[in-house]
Amino acid sequence: MAVDKRAARLGILALVGVILFSLIGVRLWFLQTVRADDLQERTTAAKTRIVPLLPERGRIFDVEGRILAGNKRILTVGVDWQLLRKGSDREEIFRRLSGWVGVPIEVMQARYDAKIDSPFLPMPVARDVSEEVALALLERIEDFPGVSVLKEWERVYPYAPHAAHVVGYMGAITKEQKDEYLAQNYVLSERVGQFGVELSMESVLHGEWGKRVYEVDAAERPVRLIEEVPPIDGFDVQLTIDLDVQQYAEQALETTLEVRRNLPLEDQAPNPEVLKPDGDREKMDPALPDFVPYKAPAASAVVMDYSNGHVMALASYPTFDNRWFEAGLSSDKFKQIFPDTKDPDLSILVNRAVQGRYNMGSTFKPFTAYAALHTGLITPEELFNDVGEYRMHSVNQDRCDAGLVRCVYKNATCKGTGRPCRYGPVNVTDALAISSDSFFYRVGEDIMVRNAMGPVLQEQVELFGFGSDTGIDLPFEFDGTVPDRELKRRYAELGIISEDEGRNYYAGDNVQLAIGQGLLSATPLQLAVGYATIANQGFVFRPQIVKAIWNSGVPDGEPGEVDFSRGTIHESFDDPDLIRQVEMPGEVRLPIVDGLRRVVTPGAGVESDFYHHTTGENLFFDYPDEAIQIAGKTGTAQGAGNFPWNDSSVFTGFSIDETQPYVVTAYLEKSGYGSQAAAPVVKCTFLALSGITVMDPVVQSDPLDLNSRRAAPSMELADTSCYNARGGGIGTNE
Amino acid sequence: MGVTFLQRRPDSGLGNVRSSPGDPSRNIDWVLMVTQVALAVIGCFIVFSASRTRIVEDPYAFVTRQVVFGIIAAVVMFAVMSVDYEWLKERATFFYGLTLVILSLLFIVGLVNDRDRISFDFGPFNFQPAEMAKFTTLLVLAAYLADERSDEVSYPRFLGGLLLVGAPAVLVILQPDLGSASVLISIAMGVLLVAGAKPKYIALISVLSLSTVASAFISRLVNQYQIERLRVFVDQSTTDPELQDSVYQVRNAVRAVGTGGLWGKGWLNGPLTNGRDIPVMWADFPFAAVGEQFGLVGCSALLFLFVVALARIWRIASLSRDLLGTYLCAGVFTMVLWQLFQNVGMTLGIMPVTGLPMPFVSYGGSSLITYFALFGIVQSVHMRRMR
Repeated sequence: MAVDKRAARLGILALVGVILFSLIGVRLWFLQTVRADDLQERTTAAKTRIVPLLPERGRIFDVEGRILAGNKRILTVGVDWQLLRKGSDREEIFRRLSGWVGVPIEVMQARYDAKIDSPFLPMPVARDVSEEVALALLERIEDFPGVSVLKEWERVYPYAPHAAHVVGYMGAITKEQKDEYLAQNYVLSERVGQFGVELSMESVLHGEWGKRVYEVDAAERPVRLIEEVPPIDGFDVQLTIDLDVQQYAEQALETTLEVRRNLPLEDQAPNPEVLKPDGDREKMDPALPDFVPYKAPAASAVVMDYSNGHVMALASYPTFDNRWFEAGLSSDKFKQIFPDTKDPDLSILVNRAVQGRYNMGSTFKPFTAYAALHTGLITPEELFNDVGEYRMHSVNQDRCDAGLVRCVYKNATCKGTGRPCRYGPVNVTDALAISSDSFFYRVGEDIMVRNAMGPVLQEQVELFGFGSDTGIDLPFEFDGTVPDRELKRRYAELGIISEDEGRNYYAGDNVQLAIGQGLLSATPLQLAVGYATIANQGFVFRPQIVKAIWNSGVPDGEPGEVDFSRGTIHESFDDPDLIRQVEMPGEVRLPIVDGLRRVVTPGAGVESDFYHHTTGENLFFDYPDEAIQIAGKTGTAQGAGNFPWNDSSVFTGFSIDETQPYVVTAYLEKSGYGSQAAAPVVKCTFLALSGITVMDPVVQSDPLDLNSRRAAPSMELADTSCYNARGGGIGTNE
Repeated sequence: MGVTFLQRRPDSGLGNVRSSPGDPSRNIDWVLMVTQVALAVIGCFIVFSASRTRIVEDPYAFVTRQVVFGIIAAVVMFAVMSVDYEWLKERATFFYGLTLVILSLLFIVGLVNDRDRISFDFGPFNFQPAEMAKFTTLLVLAAYLADERSDEVSYPRFLGGLLLVGAPAVLVILQPDLGSASVLISIAMGVLLVAGAKPKYIALISVLSLSTVASAFISRLVNQYQIERLRVFVDQSTTDPELQDSVYQVRNAVRAVGTGGLWGKGWLNGPLTNGRDIPVMWADFPFAAVGEQFGLVGCSALLFLFVVALARIWRIASLSRDLLGTYLCAGVFTMVLWQLFQNVGMTLGIMPVTGLPMPFVSYGGSSLITYFALFGIVQSVHMRRMR
């Protein structure tokens, strides 16, 4: 026998042994030295489970402590994810639970598939179950393995729909927001503020998640509590909103719109015959009757304290009940209440006071006047002969005559004559009082021509905040636009205006700007801030909606209110936030304020061919002396096609008594002249602020009617005597 | 026969004149013996550490039984040692036939009961015939090949040997216990290699066994969990929820070993060993417990003991006076090597998970008794090499 062969074969066996041991040795060395730390880290993470602890969201109060947004404890039924891992188990658990909690199996399955819920909290299958159901489930827990009942919060809005646009609403975290919120340690299934203060103050209201870190065994059972970080509840937010005034403003807007929609025929918008370029005379819109009803679809109002910028009321119509967003609506039902619409007139979920892109009409004139006086273009006494129309002098007159350039700008038509009003020689104060367009056309042209075609008017009005957002703590604020070369170029690029038009900024554009038409756009809040700056002698304050941030848990007081005296302030915003100071010497300011004062003063018009009353005197003829004395300005912003029925009505008034420093702006879309719709709202509001008109007490609202098809119930002004105007009630055409 | 080495008297000053140097009782390989006992004792400690938290009422439940198994195994081993392996060879056919009968019986019982057909349940103990098959198949194969008395294995004899291994292997695959079947095949490979089978024969066995395993998978003869284990091995980071239990087991085993680092976390201080993270750790993943508690140093020490044991067996194979002894030792060598590699490999994540226990260390009576018996044969070969 060849022993050497046997030895050789045994050698192969040994070699195999050496190879296998080497493999093990290398792998062992790799795991226990190279990867040891990494594996230790992973193991530690795997051995602990973090249970997030929900913070209570901060509440939102009005200035008096009325709870505009609060929280209600609710019970949520959840199921441990471990038990849902296998499809068959999942079906069984859902099937058993479905009847008890009244949620269809498919809904639970859809929620499971959506994968939006935190893996560290039980999967929520039913929110807001009754205590009886929760107890019954817990008593039968052996039939419901892994089922637990969690305490959660539901957002409540006790005074909805009042101040709905300000308070805002909550919603699920959207795809776009996902990364941002996850980075801030949010849980994906959380609801977050999506509008209003709920959104803008999200970081303050939210608070911070706490956590319990458990060590768990292989079956995921907690073995030991390693760490507990209690949740930090969100701060409570006190708004500057006074719900009494807010409610009054909302009522006034809705009631006025209602009146403007249902005018008697002769008070509706005229559809007059006009001379067409081809020489025919026909109605402005031949398809419509002689009188067209106002659509009056939407409106907004701002009430602000001009001594510090605190916003007391910010109303937007059409409004909504923010409880709809907590009602768990189906998407069909939601669409029924908040229809998808391309018609901006009908949009509900937009706060027109800060998001509206509005032409300001004649309410812009005081700022043009300021520019003219401040730059020394005119003196307060300087007279300008208003002949009813203004012919530009800086344009080549041949081109004018040939009709290549528009050179002639007319005043508004006087009802008595059917022709543009002729006010005769007027100074700046007169011009404001009777709202002479020609006076300001001239300012518009000269302030450009005499300043080397520079944007002087733009620079001056931008001091008041036009063209940039006010910085109020509300989301989606519109910046506004002040037309200049750059804006026109951009608009031409976007196709908003023709390329030809966008080529340059002409003196004619400035003529339009001077009376607040053209490409000027602003929000009602910006307008209020501008007037506040005139009223407070030159201080541009950032309008504030948040008065103070309170440490969480301000104790309850009267029902629906908290008791501030027992709470503590975290951060106060009482001090005004000055953005800039505008030079406002008396010789500039007084002529303007005088003019605005005359707008609402009976008999303060001018005589030329006949007596021209001021734009507001008929409405304010009965304005009592004991009420807050105001100055103000009407505006009529022309709408699509310059048709009268598309005129939007705007008015801003401010108190001339600095102890009651209110500025009130109202903007009513497609509702007629400034004096016809917006001015009555402002008049009524000042009477209410004066205590002459009694405001309805604010009460907590009835439970939300889930069968309703409307976003908000209608509101009505109890006392409409403030609508009285000389020569008839509201809406009489002068 | 008889347990003569137990009757040996202590040497008197003149030497034990009644026993010659060729007396089997004087030729026990004590190095192998001590190594083997050391492994078994270490095994008891590992089993205790890996199982004490699992049964709250009695932390010693597993280790107590393991000690009892050890005592039984020792008795069996001494019995095997005390008989000449030629004597066993003469009865190899009988033992082998008995094994086949028991395996078939298990298969039939399994068919009737429609459940796993891996073990007979005898109350407190269950008996795994596959472990017995390792012993008897080795015996019959070695005896059959040794009869050839040639340097090379002829083709007919190779085929005969293949059938001898194939019959129990197929029955074990049908159980289905792929791990044990792989051990049977490793025996065949080792013995045939040393007996002088041509490389192409070895290749044929490889192909045959691989195709058998593959067909077992395709025909769904194997259990769901075996398919899962294989899939997990192929993709260890799979997120398929159905596979998470298997992924979890392997991942935690690797973590346990890795987190042990160089020195380990200390006896009874391994969080993963103490936790319930690795199912059936005391039987399937004792090496993970070693790794976590004793680190690279402890693992190396344990593996070194196996190296010593294997080296001794290899030495005995070379020293054997006859082919039978060499074949038996070669079979044991291959079996221990393969089973150790498979068990440690799956713990380290480089082999798919099977239920193969670690020799001597894993909890389990059948396995322990089988290995003691196999080492008994090896000792028997050593003891009688001078004859």
